[in-house]
Amino acid sequence: MTWTWFHRLGSPPYIYGLAARLTPWFAWTAAALIVGGLYGGLVLAPPDYQQGDDFRIMYVHVPTAWMSLMVYTTMAVSAAVGLIWRIKVSHAVAASCAPIGASFTFVALVTGSLWGYRMWGTYWEWDPRLTSELILLFLYLGYMGLRSAIDDTQRADRVSAVLAVVGVINVPIIHFSVLWWNSLHQAPSVMQLAKPTMPASMLIPLLMMFLGFTIMFGALLLVRLRAEILNRERTANWIREAVAS
Amino acid sequence: MSSTGTSALEAARLTLARDIRLALRKRGQLIQPLAFFAIVTTLFPLGISPELSRLRDVAPGVLWVAALLSSLLALEFLFRDDAQDGTLEQHVLSGQSLTWLLFAKTVAHWLLTGLPLAVMAPLAGLSLGVPVASLGGIVASVAVGSVALSLIGSIGAALTLGVKRSGALLSLLTLPLSMPVLIFGARATELAIRGAGFAPPLYLLGALAVLGITLAPLAAAAAVRISLE
Amino acid sequence: MNEFLYMGGYAAYVWPSYGLTLVVIVLNIVWARRLLARSREEARRRLAMQGEET
Repeated sequence: MTWTWFHRLGSPPYIYGLAARLTPWFAWTAAALIVGGLYGGLVLAPPDYQQGDDFRIMYVHVPTAWMSLMVYTTMAVSAAVGLIWRIKVSHAVAASCAPIGASFTFVALVTGSLWGYRMWGTYWEWDPRLTSELILLFLYLGYMGLRSAIDDTQRADRVSAVLAVVGVINVPIIHFSVLWWNSLHQAPSVMQLAKPTMPASMLIPLLMMFLGFTIMFGALLLVRLRAEILNRERTANWIREAVAS
Repeated sequence: MSSTGTSALEAARLTLARDIRLALRKRGQLIQPLAFFAIVTTLFPLGISPELSRLRDVAPGVLWVAALLSSLLALEFLFRDDAQDGTLEQHVLSGQSLTWLLFAKTVAHWLLTGLPLAVMAPLAGLSLGVPVASLGGIVASVAVGSVALSLIGSIGAALTLGVKRSGALLSLLTLPLSMPVLIFGARATELAIRGAGFAPPLYLLGALAVLGITLAPLAAAAAVRISLE
Repeated sequence: MNEFLYMGGYAAYVWPSYGLTLVVIVLNIVWARRLLARSREEARRRLAMQGEET
């Protein structure tokens, strides 16, 4: 009995229905959190004593950078699950992740570059974190390119899954690069859960943005997942009712 | 010929010998990446400046980008012939360890392309004005770095087995993963040119090569199996 | 209000950052919804054709 919920997760019609029901909840919660975080970050939080108002870029740069890593990890994990246990829905999840992850990696790079200009005096530096984040963008693009180059869906799923898993080594490199090497990028100040070095008025909007972006990713993923499932389950009977509206 | 008693190592050794023998019959194919390397390194002085003092500054980058692109070109030959004539399928079906077989193929590939590149690199370096004392360091760094490049490339080549006209996609997959090799290799070359100790980046190159040796054949084997399913 | 837009002199960095982020979020939403709509449309068409065959 305890495993039926797990098996249901692998059933496309069940996931389709679940995704349809969950999406509005995810979407509106994310919207509320992001709007609240934006207000807190842009209006309520006082200017930083060192960076002035420039630090407010943090409220978009840090969440999008977090997303670039989180989405890739989700993609790699679901690709691995699909590869090992041959679960089609898992591959559909991985496929849905890639475009979302790629676009937010791009935003992370650009916003980071704009934020960095004031602090470092340059738009770009080939330091470990920036370089490996750029490599992450290329990995996303390569994943999407590989998928589209292979016609057979099942083979495309499995080949690109190998790429996703191989590339996941980049994620800890990006995360720990500021600790391992002398990097231009600043050391983590939020992840120290013991005592974050940021005042609450600055920290709370950031956490709201973190949560809001994560839940937004969930909403986007659910929508794309439904499209993916429809494309894959071409002739299944349950589709008739699902698209009837 | 009974293969039930052949160990994975023995099969790998045989594959290595076979690949080298076959490749030596197609010498024209082997020369191509090396000729490409020579041409590319010639383009930079023509495009930048004929003054050796200026070229010396960009020599590390030029050498390594050229080496990277040449090894990319050479990757086309790694699996292509065997994939086309069904030998790769035989490897998969043979029951021998595909990981070891692919490792052997990659080693053969490196001996035929990476190592010659390491031999050519000092000549290219001299044409870019590097001091003679740095040539040893250049050979060492290109030799070690090209091992990593061959292994990283084998993953990309395995992933794109079923893709027609895979050149651009192969580059997109291989080049990002090769960037660390480029970074450390160019750093080692730069230190060698300046006469400083280049051991640290060389060790890092070695670490990348070892990482590649342990992980790349596994990933490549998984990709080959899936591509041939 | 002007001070808000001015962002202490960093307006040229802050607003493009927020602008780009907003644009990418909106594009993601639009793109995802359009994909779903297209898939549903295609599925409906496919089922209609199947219905005609039987």
